[in-house]
Amino acid sequence: MDHFPGTWGRPRNDVYGAYDPSYLQSTGPKTHTTSPAVTGTSVVGVKFNGGVALATDNLASYGSLARFTDTKRLRVFGDQAVVGFGGDVSDMQYLDRLLESIDIRENYSSHGNMLNAKNLHTYLAKVFYKRRSEFNPLWNHVLVAGFDGEGKPFLSSADLLGTTFSAPHLATGFGAHLAVPILRRLFPEEKPIEEISREEAVDALKQCLKVLFYRDARSLDKYSIAVITKEGIDLKEDEQLEGQSWAFAERIKGYGAQTV
Amino acid sequence: MDKIVAQYSRPSHQNEFYSEQEQQDLTETLPPLSLKFALPPVANPSAFLRAMTDDHSNPSCPIKLAHGTTTLAFRFQGGIIVCTDSRATAGNWIASQTVKKVIPVSRLSRGEDKPSNEPTPGLLGTMAGGAADCQYWLRYLSQQCTLHEIRHKRRITVAAASKILANLTYSYKGYGLSMGTMLAGVRTTASFLPSNQVGLELTSTAFIGNPQEGPALYYIDSDGTRLPGNLFCVGSGQTFAYGVLDANYRYDLTEEEALALGRRAILAAMHRDAYSGGFINLYHVKEEGWVHHGFDDMNPIFWKTKLESGEFSNVTSEL
Amino acid sequence: MTSLMDHQARETVGYSFSESTAGVKQHGFYPYTDNGGSTLGITGSDFAILAGDTRSTSGYNINSRMVPKVFKIGGDDETGEGANIILSVVGFAADGTALKERLDTVVKMYKYQHGKPMSVSACAQRLSTILYQKRFFPYYVHAILAGLDEEGKGALYSYDPVGSYEREQCRAAGAAASLIMPFLDNQVNFKNQYIPGSGEGHALVAKKPEPLPLETVKGLVRDAFTSAVERHIEVGDNLQMVIITKAGIEEVYHPLKKD
Repeated sequence: MDHFPGTWGRPRNDVYGAYDPSYLQSTGPKTHTTSPAVTGTSVVGVKFNGGVALATDNLASYGSLARFTDTKRLRVFGDQAVVGFGGDVSDMQYLDRLLESIDIRENYSSHGNMLNAKNLHTYLAKVFYKRRSEFNPLWNHVLVAGFDGEGKPFLSSADLLGTTFSAPHLATGFGAHLAVPILRRLFPEEKPIEEISREEAVDALKQCLKVLFYRDARSLDKYSIAVITKEGIDLKEDEQLEGQSWAFAERIKGYGAQTV
Repeated sequence: MDKIVAQYSRPSHQNEFYSEQEQQDLTETLPPLSLKFALPPVANPSAFLRAMTDDHSNPSCPIKLAHGTTTLAFRFQGGIIVCTDSRATAGNWIASQTVKKVIPVSRLSRGEDKPSNEPTPGLLGTMAGGAADCQYWLRYLSQQCTLHEIRHKRRITVAAASKILANLTYSYKGYGLSMGTMLAGVRTTASFLPSNQVGLELTSTAFIGNPQEGPALYYIDSDGTRLPGNLFCVGSGQTFAYGVLDANYRYDLTEEEALALGRRAILAAMHRDAYSGGFINLYHVKEEGWVHHGFDDMNPIFWKTKLESGEFSNVTSEL
Repeated sequence: MTSLMDHQARETVGYSFSESTAGVKQHGFYPYTDNGGSTLGITGSDFAILAGDTRSTSGYNINSRMVPKVFKIGGDDETGEGANIILSVVGFAADGTALKERLDTVVKMYKYQHGKPMSVSACAQRLSTILYQKRFFPYYVHAILAGLDEEGKGALYSYDPVGSYEREQCRAAGAAASLIMPFLDNQVNFKNQYIPGSGEGHALVAKKPEPLPLETVKGLVRDAFTSAVERHIEVGDNLQMVIITKAGIEEVYHPLKKD
């Protein structure tokens, strides 16, 4: 401790060495792409009357290379919950194994009640938080969809830091920028989810994936979509985006078939 | 064969939940007596901590801790004067103007800080540097002092108490603690607890050691320094306080004069040091214990000092 | 990840996740984020209010418009029924949740072990030590704890990220603390307010702060937040107000601007 008012009580360079700002990186997606290798992009989800719909495309990128084009990024848990994974694919597969073992353990347990989507989300968030506290994060951003303990539709997000939040519609990654505005326009916050039909929700997700395919360079027009209702999970894993219109690209240099 | 079986029957994932020990720690209502602190699992934890919290090297660091202070204490013929400001800053932000930077140590039950003319037995600790560090470790010291009282049936000496703290800060040297603290107290034969209070019969042979420590003042900081002395100023405004104190200090000050000097020195530091301000917190440690002499807003005191004594003539009094 | 890779190189076939990945890891990993938002607390003679907005942000994105920041501590799980302490956390939401759950567990365990609810002052001290346990890897949160003290008066304790704490009349924390706190200094503690005609120049007598009635405080809280929303991008959507009186805990929501 020295006698300068500004530095008094602060760590001294002669004791602690020079200040090392490398621990502080600017936040944002840039920092998160350096460590994960094979990654999946956005996950989008929306609640509707009596259920939740969740969608991802089927691409796993290796940097800018579209490496695997049939990666299933929606994972079914039990009979009424689906997890949509964004981020590192190996960590996704690791979590998948983890969830599978929990599923088996729960099925063999004597109490007989299955974990619902809300329980699953809590668990995943805790796993993420524990791993971030060990500085060994699972590089994922997931959406969990299903039903809560009271049987109401449930949609919530958890990321590699353990941050959690829930809303009537959610999107991760690029979708947070491109899909959320679309969903917020289609389904304003004032509109109760009881007024949103299953068809509307599914159409909205398809529209979101289409817009994401237009503008997200790490996305694909092959996608998976899961619709979770009380009747069960309707999971389609090999869908193709239809009705694409690339007319907007005509006017953008370097995008379409311009010659000049 | 067993090896192969073991190899293939290993779980496909690590145990992703807290261990039993960790879970127990999480639900413990009392804090652990062994000092367990979570360290960031990086190669250089103190560099990580500094990157996150050093608001001087990096004004935009994410976690800003409460800091900054002027505290002083000095010995004179009538005991010890302890005086502090009350400001806590986090970066340029004044986090609080009402911090109690004098913390009663020894006897947890006497921790409440109510102004009273009755002297309260025990030590006083001052707080400079990281507010949490000082609060936590002085609390820890209180605990140790209380245990000492229970074990040895007499109050701890200031020398011993300060050594507990200094050993502690030295053991955490390099971790990134920040504290500059003073311990003040008077230990006399009266500090031996009457036997009925302890509930155990005491023979006079139990009174060994130095019963007459008298008024004692120690400085302890997070580098592990421990110094006995007559006069200390600690904190970002220490230089300003030293200036006033050194000019006017004498050992044979009257009680009145000593209190006024302590207040005046802190006032000078509050005026010149941006990281100090708020209220003047004044204590007097006597043989019977410590007495609180007010927690007063510096502003009226400043104007009173200026207008009545003609000091601070650098400031205009025109409105 | 690097340490896991190292293991894999040494082992042969099969999954090779060891029980614990010992040793230090060096990652280009930043373990914090700021989820924005603001909280504030004010006390009166027989009540305490904690309030917070419900917006959750990361960078310029709004994650959700409904993430409450004020929690009941020591009550039943879902409803919070039976709680007598409330806590607000603002900063990094995951740390905030972890802290809240930890304190909640401690307060419950206290109740089960001692057969009586934990006092607010005891809870305040315990929260301080919980925060300090993470002194070298801090919780990135500003916490405010509120309840009623032994005399039934409103009690409010504010914390820095590593656990220094103080009992106060009012406190704002979070993104808009620098906007709200000066307002509270003036309106709750009457800072820089003087009694007219009490003297000339520097002899003017300062107005003495006194506990405010509940309705006035509710008004101050709403004014503080509507004003903060106007001038801070990370604050908005809804205002959550939790009021604790001897009758119990009341929770109300008010809409705020959503832009």
